[in-house]
Amino acid sequence: MALLDAYTQPLSAAQVGHLLRRATFGPAFGQIKSFTGQTAAQLVQKLLADQPLPAAPLDLTTGQTFHDHPFSMVDAGKKEYYLKAWWVGLMLNQPASILEKMTLFWSNHFVTNANTVNDYRFIYRYNNLLRQYALGNFRAFVVAISQDPAMLQFLNSNQNVVGKPNENYARELQELFTVGRNGGYTEEDVRTAARALTGWTDTGYRNQTSSDISGFFRPGQHDTGDKTFSAAYQNTTIKGQSGADAGLNELRTLVDMLLTNPETPRYICRKLYRWFVNAEIPATIETNVIQPLADQFRAGNFEIKPVLATLLQSQHFYDTALQGAVIKSPLDLVVGTLRFWGTTAPDASKNLTGFYQLTGYLYNRCKEQQQDVLDPPTVFGWTAYYQTGYYQQWINASTLGLRGYFGDQLTTNGVKLNGKLAIDILALVKTLPDPSDPAKLMADLTMPMLAVSLTPAQTDFLIDTVLLNNLPRYEWGVEWNEYTQSPNDAAKKQAVQMKLTGLMQYIFRMAEYQVG
Amino acid sequence: MNRRTFFQHAATAALAPVLIDGYGATAFGSALPTRPSPFMQALLEVADQTDRVLVVIQLQGGNDGLNTVIPLDQMSVYTASTFRGNIAIPEAKVLKMNKYAQTGLHPAMTGFQQLFNAGKLSIVQGVSYPSPNFSHFRASDIWMTAVDSDKTLTSGWAGRYLDKRFPNYPENFPTAAMPDPPAIQIGAVTATSLLGPINSMAVVLSDPDTFARLVGDKPNDPKGIDGSSYAGKQIDFIRQQQVSSVSYAGQIKAAADKGKNSITYPTSNPLADQLKIIARLISGGLQTKLYYVTVGGFDTHASQVDATSTSTGTHANLLRQLSDAVFSFQNDLAQLKLEDRVVGMTFSEFGRRAISNGSLGTDHGTSAPMFIFGTAVKTQMVGQNPNLRDLDNNNLKMQTDFRQVYAAILEDWFGASVATETSVLTRDFPVAPVFRVTQLVTGTEPTAEPTATLYPNPASGAVMLESDWLEPGVKSVQVFDMQGRQLSIYAAQPTARQLRFDVSNLPMGTYIVRVETGTGLLTKRLAVVR
Repeated sequence: MALLDAYTQPLSAAQVGHLLRRATFGPAFGQIKSFTGQTAAQLVQKLLADQPLPAAPLDLTTGQTFHDHPFSMVDAGKKEYYLKAWWVGLMLNQPASILEKMTLFWSNHFVTNANTVNDYRFIYRYNNLLRQYALGNFRAFVVAISQDPAMLQFLNSNQNVVGKPNENYARELQELFTVGRNGGYTEEDVRTAARALTGWTDTGYRNQTSSDISGFFRPGQHDTGDKTFSAAYQNTTIKGQSGADAGLNELRTLVDMLLTNPETPRYICRKLYRWFVNAEIPATIETNVIQPLADQFRAGNFEIKPVLATLLQSQHFYDTALQGAVIKSPLDLVVGTLRFWGTTAPDASKNLTGFYQLTGYLYNRCKEQQQDVLDPPTVFGWTAYYQTGYYQQWINASTLGLRGYFGDQLTTNGVKLNGKLAIDILALVKTLPDPSDPAKLMADLTMPMLAVSLTPAQTDFLIDTVLLNNLPRYEWGVEWNEYTQSPNDAAKKQAVQMKLTGLMQYIFRMAEYQVG
Repeated sequence: MNRRTFFQHAATAALAPVLIDGYGATAFGSALPTRPSPFMQALLEVADQTDRVLVVIQLQGGNDGLNTVIPLDQMSVYTASTFRGNIAIPEAKVLKMNKYAQTGLHPAMTGFQQLFNAGKLSIVQGVSYPSPNFSHFRASDIWMTAVDSDKTLTSGWAGRYLDKRFPNYPENFPTAAMPDPPAIQIGAVTATSLLGPINSMAVVLSDPDTFARLVGDKPNDPKGIDGSSYAGKQIDFIRQQQVSSVSYAGQIKAAADKGKNSITYPTSNPLADQLKIIARLISGGLQTKLYYVTVGGFDTHASQVDATSTSTGTHANLLRQLSDAVFSFQNDLAQLKLEDRVVGMTFSEFGRRAISNGSLGTDHGTSAPMFIFGTAVKTQMVGQNPNLRDLDNNNLKMQTDFRQVYAAILEDWFGASVATETSVLTRDFPVAPVFRVTQLVTGTEPTAEPTATLYPNPASGAVMLESDWLEPGVKSVQVFDMQGRQLSIYAAQPTARQLRFDVSNLPMGTYIVRVETGTGLLTKRLAVVR
């Protein structure tokens, strides 16, 4: 049975949790409940459905958009921060859709970073481009990103002119964006591709009087000679062109050529696999998952959606051995934790202060845990997706401490939303079938929260030691019923609330909670 | 200490208690205290803060006080079949204590007996609070947050105190002056007692195994998912990293490496395992001020004693564990020459019903004794045996509010100012005289204080003391009967020059009221009539 054949059984709660942990920033408790029993095909269709582009970020001080204004030297830092918090807000508030998870994937693939580009308007435009093409056509995407002002700045394409080529973009376009290091291209191919890309530049960079920004082509700076590549590209020659359309024409031809290299679809599919499934790609996965996906990618003219649909509906994806194989990125952990409890950021158009209070807080937590959105550390992206150890790169003594501290803060006084704790443990526990029975409570709560099942010994430990501090189990029922009989009695409420808070803090710190 | 905090100390010192530690008690016992200058006071507070340690032992579940500290003066009531005859400890087996012939200890508590007779253990009788709660969770929260039983708070008393001492922990720490965590707890979940206004003030070592892994000893913990699966590999990796992610892991390990235990602790004693770690860390020079451990199982609704012998069974095993562990710990500290720096305190969320139930057990009750151990204790018996003939719905009446014991820890042990104590406990509580010498007051008439009036007198309920001397602050309120025994009462200060207290719990008779104020000592005779 082929690994990529569709898994057609109705999904269990654990499988729904698995799918949503991978394809989104984490399931809401309610989503797991309502999606259980649907098929992978039904859910994947929902996840891949087109989404409207989000409203642009607003300046907290003015309440106005800022991406469409002249550059502000004074407030640049603040606006960059709004932009980042805004994106975290999109991840938090997004319904069951893969869009933001894919947008983040592409920001880790077609990397630029805000720190280097240093114009928040460029970065906004770049981020929106990623979102626009995230589920679209990869061929069109590469062409578009090559003309994006932020990318032109970041990889110095804007300095790549006839006679004085800058090879930076031409190299990364092949090594990181399309063919990959195993594509067999030569140093000469890098130089040749650079010539084909001469003449592009950006406008409006950090311009304090104009809001116009774009990438554009200057025919006078273009190398009009023919460009002939190595055997890696079947000795293809791109005919030298001149005139206004020369840049775009040669760019398109170049991208077509890069996508003809058989390694390109494999390289992209491997990256998708590491993003959504597992870091390890043994030979059998290369043969039975990567290659067929790559074939589908190429045969489908590099449309992204069908490949994702195949992967996320595949029998392989629901292999229980793969559950919990990924260590949550800081965004998965921080945003996902809030999503589980159904917490969303306030509508920015109605309560901008509240919106940034929460999203800014979350952004800062991710940043301190070593994932600064829109600022991947290098052009390779985050080390967790390419360096030895992969996801384990997210984990060290200090990030673990910060991960635990985040859980503590969420459940105590660290972050508030409209004056209340950002997650309402009691409200959720009340919806469980039988919260007065500590064993059922624990099962009903940990199953959707965790990607792996706990052993009976672990569950007993959570019940007897963590929740009940060694009291007999029936005491929980007594306390719970006391509370539900007088839900407005602050003391009785606090009695169970503090126990549940302690339980959550413990679970948030468990190694099991760090995997997704 | 930076300049700002120094001045804060200097400022609070203007209202500071004269009694900064056990030594002050001597001054109190002999004559009017002399008041150090605010500057000196600040220096004293700072010096005092450097090295004193508190160990809190939580007895989870509600300890049966009446079978722990036994009222030898009321054995006929205690052993009556209508009282708790089915679980009563026979008088012959009760452990006797020097100088307190009327009070004894459970036969399993030989360690506590030795500590008491060596002057290193104090028993505070009848500790509770007004309108006690019978829910484990709620009662624990009340004890830990130190609020009145009709109020709620989310921070703990010790957390609030440590937050005042180490403001902005953990953000602005470690510092050169405080390189270590303010508090260390051994337990899975941070105790509410240790929660500051925003953050937990404690580093939590989830169990002795975590400590073992941290310091490179061999752990013994049962673990989850198969380690060869993808998820299992990741989880193993994370667990490995978690050990070093314990905040202050380096400091704790360094102290553990440098520290040692000087004696052998009892085995199969989970509390001893925990106290052993603490002794090692203190001896290794860790600057941590508060250690917190928990021992569970005190919720003895059934089979608290063996059917064949009331002095053995579940409760006996729990008390032996406590007594043996603390005895070893105290001996260890003595050998390590650290015992003057450390005191320990036990508490339980409530005592148990005075009248036993039909299952050889006891149901949730109210007041119970607390134990304070260490060489610093001065008064070994605070309060008296509970009166078994004077129950409140089958429950023992309160003598001392638990917050008076906290006040003693804060003011007399840690040297906190009255202002700090008041703020931590949300209002001022008279200090239980654990760390002070209580002068036995005989029936002689105290000298009259023309500056104070006490009314009504005779009284049966609320009594008001008015005096200008109260204005600088009240440090303690004590009531003695004509036999010189101290009784605890509940007092409040409605205005600066008024002190109101309630004598409705006191039997008819004549009493001496002693109020220690910032100005001096007020003593008054009071008659209680019914």
